[in-house]
Amino acid sequence: MKETILSINQLSKHYGRIRAVDNLSLDIERGNVYGILGPNGSGKTTTIGIILGVINANSGSYKWFGNEPTNNDRKRIGSIIETPLFYPYLTAIRNLKIIADIKGLGYESIENVLKTVDLFERKNDVFKTYSLGMKQRLALAAAMLGNPEMMILDEPTNGLDPQGIADTRDLIKRIASEGTTIFLASHLLDEVQKVCTHVAVLNKGKKLFSGDVDEVLTDTFTIEIASDNLEELQKTLNDFPNLHSVTKDGDKLTVRVKGKTNGRDLNSFLFNKGIILTHLAAKKKSLESYFLELLSDKK
Amino acid sequence: MIKLLKIEYQKIAPYKTFWVLFGLYFAVLGIIIFGTQSFINEFFVDVRKNSPIPIPTVSLYNFPDVWQNITYLGGYFKIFLAVLIVILVSNEFSFRTIRQNIINGMSKSEFLKSKLLFIFSISLASTLFLFISGLILGLTHTTYISFSKVFNNSYFLFVYLLELFSFLSFAMLVGFLVKKSGFAIGILLLYSYIIERILWYKIPEEISEYFPIRMIGKLIDVPNTALMKIFGINFRNFVSFPDIAIVIAYTILFIFLTSLLLKKRDI
Repeated sequence: MKETILSINQLSKHYGRIRAVDNLSLDIERGNVYGILGPNGSGKTTTIGIILGVINANSGSYKWFGNEPTNNDRKRIGSIIETPLFYPYLTAIRNLKIIADIKGLGYESIENVLKTVDLFERKNDVFKTYSLGMKQRLALAAAMLGNPEMMILDEPTNGLDPQGIADTRDLIKRIASEGTTIFLASHLLDEVQKVCTHVAVLNKGKKLFSGDVDEVLTDTFTIEIASDNLEELQKTLNDFPNLHSVTKDGDKLTVRVKGKTNGRDLNSFLFNKGIILTHLAAKKKSLESYFLELLSDKK
Repeated sequence: MIKLLKIEYQKIAPYKTFWVLFGLYFAVLGIIIFGTQSFINEFFVDVRKNSPIPIPTVSLYNFPDVWQNITYLGGYFKIFLAVLIVILVSNEFSFRTIRQNIINGMSKSEFLKSKLLFIFSISLASTLFLFISGLILGLTHTTYISFSKVFNNSYFLFVYLLELFSFLSFAMLVGFLVKKSGFAIGILLLYSYIIERILWYKIPEEISEYFPIRMIGKLIDVPNTALMKIFGINFRNFVSFPDIAIVIAYTILFIFLTSLLLKKRDI
């Protein structure tokens, strides 16, 4: 049985009539790299604000490390929130010292984290002289202080250049591989897919879907097929090596296959098994369109 | 407690705006306290020429009167410190560093505590400044010095500390309430110097004399100099305990309202 780090239970927050977070529940276990994926305004940042104690929920609850939340939990969590927040007139070092003091950490790791995010050279410059990308990297450094067991990253690649994005994703993967639990909010499907092990898709504050990233977001290709005997066809399909899922759709089967397989592979496989198809239509469906579909399905 | 104070210090240590204003405050306070006597002397030279009655010499710096005289004068300059507090508090909102502090593990009550500790330290610094100035002035201006004479009225220093702490708590409340520094300074000045003063005239004396700025301001009354006696004006040369109790109650109210704001609002 895995240890639950964060458990969110029927959380709701509304601003006037707008429901920013609507009855959201999810559990994050130790070692998960959990992504919340959703378009802008889907409630990701509000959710993070609530679990970090800066936004008051209207109803629902959450638990950190299995207990009612206290401020000491937050000392064990490294967080990046939508925009980097630092004292503009203080240097990177001084800003990080304040955070270390709040968390009750020593100053030894400050230089290390600054090196990791490539800001060591600029450590004695004041924050307001930094570019957006550097500010974002300092936020990442702050989140890494003291090797927290949990990291919350809200749009961590916002404002970074392509190289910075790639570096940051590698860094997150490295941190995750060391066993740190990560909660990552992003509106970029690609990012969640590349980094996360689990995902919840959020729209208008509601959770649409959650599960394993492999389950939910594998790059699949959808093919519609039919034959004279659907049952036999379905049975045979189970032996197809790159099968993702099969659903019956009236008198046709909708087959999702993984990765690089296509209609030709499927057809020749079935032909070899002695099945002649009466219908075959390749429905190119990229991950993006699947994501968009998820979002538009349940309006 | 030391930890919270250390964090507050880290926030302002290289903050030039703060140190310039803070330095300016002590410079002005020093000039006023050390310079008022000579200003009065100059003034009296002119007055004596035309006066039909003899005017006695006024000495501000004799023990034990010096304590009431300088704490009364010092009270006029607390607005400087209040503006500083408003800037520091509203900065936390405009830089949104309050959010960052909380997210990194400070509790909301620790945040409030750190601000209160800071306010207390500043009030204490100003009180110490007056204590040292009073000692210097008293020792150089009093003819017959005895221990009891020196410290007789020194409780005015404690009352001064309360006056500052209370007014700065009010400034803190305004900072938390308004969150934008320019706007908050405007509200603070407007309320302290205009709105409440208008209300004093609009609302019956029995009620308006208990208004917060007025209560805080009259803790230390106008010193009763020999000059005043000539004109038959008699101010209190003591501090009333009910006044102290009311000001303490106001201070608790300001702090309570701030903590309520902090708890109820999203940060």
